[in-house]
Amino acid sequence: MDAVKSVNLFKTYHSKETVEALKGVSITVGKSELFTLLGQNGAGKTTFLRIISTQLLPTEGEASVLGFDVLTQPEEVRKHIAVVPQDVATYGNYTPWEYAYYFSMLRGMSRKEAKESAEKALKAVELWDLRNRPCATLSGGEKKRTIISSALASNADVFMLDEPTSGLDAVARRNVWAVLREMVEQGKTILLTTHIMEEAEMVSDRLAIIHKGSMIAEGTPDQIKHLTKERFRVVVEGNLKNLGLQENNNHIVKFGSKNIVYVENEDIALELIGKALKKGVKAEIAPITLEDVFVKLVGGEAN
Amino acid sequence: MNSKAIKDLLIITALKSLPDLKRQPLMVFFVGMISSLPLFFILVFGGQISYGLIGAMVSTASLIGMMASIQDIAWDRYVKIREMLVAMPVHPLSYALGLALAPLVISSPSLIFFSAITMWLGVLTPYSILWAALTLIVCWATLSSIGFLISTYLQKAAPYTLNSLSNILGIGLTFIPTVYYPEDILGNFSWISMIFPTSNATSLIRVYSGSLTLPFEMVVARWLILLSTMLVFAAITVVKARWREP
Repeated sequence: MDAVKSVNLFKTYHSKETVEALKGVSITVGKSELFTLLGQNGAGKTTFLRIISTQLLPTEGEASVLGFDVLTQPEEVRKHIAVVPQDVATYGNYTPWEYAYYFSMLRGMSRKEAKESAEKALKAVELWDLRNRPCATLSGGEKKRTIISSALASNADVFMLDEPTSGLDAVARRNVWAVLREMVEQGKTILLTTHIMEEAEMVSDRLAIIHKGSMIAEGTPDQIKHLTKERFRVVVEGNLKNLGLQENNNHIVKFGSKNIVYVENEDIALELIGKALKKGVKAEIAPITLEDVFVKLVGGEAN
Repeated sequence: MNSKAIKDLLIITALKSLPDLKRQPLMVFFVGMISSLPLFFILVFGGQISYGLIGAMVSTASLIGMMASIQDIAWDRYVKIREMLVAMPVHPLSYALGLALAPLVISSPSLIFFSAITMWLGVLTPYSILWAALTLIVCWATLSSIGFLISTYLQKAAPYTLNSLSNILGIGLTFIPTVYYPEDILGNFSWISMIFPTSNATSLIRVYSGSLTLPFEMVVARWLILLSTMLVFAAITVVKARWREP
């Protein structure tokens, strides 16, 4: 049985203007898998997550969590999921302990179970020492981890996290990644949304790219990186004409004096590096990144 | 409601009241202070202290009913606790009732204080205080249901707008109608006091305290108006409010 499954999911918002937020998204997430939805702002990631987490009704299509229909069995779905919404904030008067403890109690745990669960979750996100401090006195990252701990304490089977690391510093972000991977190793399923490419690449077992409400790619980070024919990037600092390259080439992205040249294989990349060295132009070679592929696929500046 | 729903209701009440009581205990005094402010003017400029005390009790129950149901929902939406709760095995009724009960916990010291004073001064007897408590509960529930309806219709409004609106409505419904002053002052328009749940509740408590005499039919009519106001607003809220967004 799949942990999360959606078939042809559509969502249209009707307000002042009609917005098609999802246009037939079909996704399957296996158990004990960390699946990431990658997309630009407004791509439809949050809408998808809100439908799957029973907060929002779809316009059309089917979705299920652990075999329970999201539309007709929301109560069953809710017993198995925990959600961290996007841009979530905290109440200044609440402490991390109160968040984790009360939310565990609302899951139907006994006081003893809730205390144990809250303690475990707060230790996992390294907030145990700050558990009795009001959130008003915590840093942005600590507040975020407080909310994540309240989801962790739920002991749910499927976690749906909407950009959980946005606004966190690099250290805090990596701490959250470690927690997420540990959860997956313990058998939990995680559906994550992010627009941090490094995050998607580092933590995901599989990912899907959503663009303007449609899914345009799905696979492991490596599979996604093979969706374009370019495999390497050469960062050249200086005039490309010296290397015999045209700046309006669609394999080149320009950022001021820096240029990223995408090439199909290592030989071409090394040839370019050789030319650069001869001309005294600074150049560096690296494998293509997920971000490069993402930008190419969603039609950013590379096109 | 099953036992899980009742347990959830109590947990949400605790979550929405205990952290505030622990870390902002002055809130208790603030609620009582606002309600007892007119008492100062009654004492200085003359007036019936019994009216002032009953008014303070009604005012406390009404203000917290109206303000909490609007403000708490607005802030829960803003900090996205509501989104987390919707995706949890929590019944919407547990959430709504927990949210409404929490401010009652916060204002209970004020209500107990005012009740003790009224009993000490002989304004209310141990028997009439029970009727007064029942009236206050219905008044609080009515104002809460009005608040819930407003927050249901103004889902997109900013929390600060809803804060201001709830303050204006709370204070308007408490200080303009005949809550702190006798309805005789309105002369032929004294029936207006029946329209507002706050003044209606005040008049009923005055009847139970013996400071106002009304025919039995009028007392029944006032109860019916008060209860039907609560039921109508609650019913519209139940029909209009959506736990899961369409």
